[in-house]
Amino acid sequence: MKKFLVMFLLAVSVFLVAETLVIKGSNTVFPIAQLWIEEFKKVHPDVQVTLEGAGSSTGIAALFNGTTDIANSSRWLKPEEIERMNKEGKYFIPFLIGFDGIAIIVNKDLGIDDISIETLKKIYTGEIQYWSQVNPNLPRKRIVVYSRNTASGTYETFESKVLGGARMAPYVRMVESTQIEIENVARNPYAIAYVGVGYVTDDVKVLKVNGIYPTKENILKGKYPIARPLFMFVDATNGFPEMGSLVFEFIMFAFSKKGQELVEKAGYVAAYGQ
Amino acid sequence: MIFVFSISGILALFLLVFFLVKEAWPALVKVGGELFTSVYWYPTADPPEYGMLAMIAGTLLLTAFSSAILLPLGYLVAFFLHTYARDLEKSLVRTTVEFLAGTPSVIIGLFVLFYVAPILLHFDVWSTENFLLAAIGLVLTALPYSVSLSLEALDSVDIALEESALALGATRFITTLRVTTRAALSGILNAFVLTINRVVGETMIVLMVGGGAAIIPRSLFDPVKPLTAAIASEIGEVAVGSMHYHVLFAAGFILLVLSLVLTGLSRYISRRQTG
Repeated sequence: MKKFLVMFLLAVSVFLVAETLVIKGSNTVFPIAQLWIEEFKKVHPDVQVTLEGAGSSTGIAALFNGTTDIANSSRWLKPEEIERMNKEGKYFIPFLIGFDGIAIIVNKDLGIDDISIETLKKIYTGEIQYWSQVNPNLPRKRIVVYSRNTASGTYETFESKVLGGARMAPYVRMVESTQIEIENVARNPYAIAYVGVGYVTDDVKVLKVNGIYPTKENILKGKYPIARPLFMFVDATNGFPEMGSLVFEFIMFAFSKKGQELVEKAGYVAAYGQ
Repeated sequence: MIFVFSISGILALFLLVFFLVKEAWPALVKVGGELFTSVYWYPTADPPEYGMLAMIAGTLLLTAFSSAILLPLGYLVAFFLHTYARDLEKSLVRTTVEFLAGTPSVIIGLFVLFYVAPILLHFDVWSTENFLLAAIGLVLTALPYSVSLSLEALDSVDIALEESALALGATRFITTLRVTTRAALSGILNAFVLTINRVVGETMIVLMVGGGAAIIPRSLFDPVKPLTAAIASEIGEVAVGSMHYHVLFAAGFILLVLSLVLTGLSRYISRRQTG
């Protein structure tokens, strides 16, 4: 009984002492953060980390409420958010953690190598429905258009960078995973889809967009048009996260060689050490 | 003890319905008619549009089409098994059917996606996930239900009834068609309703091979996105408490109402049959 009590107290004290780190935000950054946490826990086994992917806006809102330590974001702050920061006397600092490039893929047998943003927009909004309208040399076949579903961060980027506010045609297939997109494009000679660069396989063909391939270099130099930076935001109202604090440690880990390798492993382009 | 168990079961059911209605309520109140009259499903656009008409129509059309194949087929197989099949054949078919019933629908979805869909490409069909494939998948998953439930209904008819009919000179075909079927009618109708309910609620297959485009299908080869697919596809990543979230619950609510109506219908029919 005594032994049990001691054990119990020990367990409770460990639980009380255990530090917690809360991370919320972007779905796009989610897979990176997940890999980081797995690795981070190896070094800090007693740390409790919770990760929630509810969207960039939700993450930043949580930062305002103080319900998260780190807000993942696949976009820069919106003007309203900056205004709110000024009003509430808060100061958030960004950490650039990587880049996300979106590759346009088609079937290997389709005789096309290059596509313009303009054409892409027409395909996704339904203005163009046949491949022959893209290029007279292509067969007069209906374009089978795939998109990630609306919950996806990739979808958001595509929507803002390619569609520019226009709406996708209702017949565009909204699929649950990038894997499904790739498989369908590999099988169907007249399909088109967009996926994060990290996911591209040899079964499909990546198109140049406006004449530029989504290589790491082109993404990093900003030449490739459908790319964006990814961030972590931290509240620095009371100063930069203290050295040795959990937030500091986590961010430093994210910037480490290992951390940046994990960014690539998650399918994105690392920001540092290139 | 039994009382406690049954009460907790009923309680769980009521809680489920309560939860569904509670979460769907904001959508029904704030979005209202647009849910049922608009075909524009842009839940994350700015401003968002929450028209579920295309998905409701997709659900209904897909259910109607699959049922039109399923129910007669299920009845015919049950008819054969009941009337003509020898014991060996009967047990063979039964085992196969039960095995099929136990197959997870995701496996059937994979089968359709990888073995049936590529065939369509040879016929110059523009999309490899479409209404027809979803219907094929649904028939494969729900056929076992329709067969075993219909067979059960036919088999439960008093043997004396059939023997009298046969003794009066009716052929076995006529006996099963006119005597047994009539006696088992409420059971068969119940089997039909349960099968349709299964089709309405099936999610995995329509998600995998339906095509996921929210349009009202105008041909067998158009993609379709029933309500179940929309919920499964989108609920995972919507912000809890957002309007999109509530609207997806409203979709679940519509499915529940549909299923309740079907169940009520079967109750009504069987009561009229027996009463």
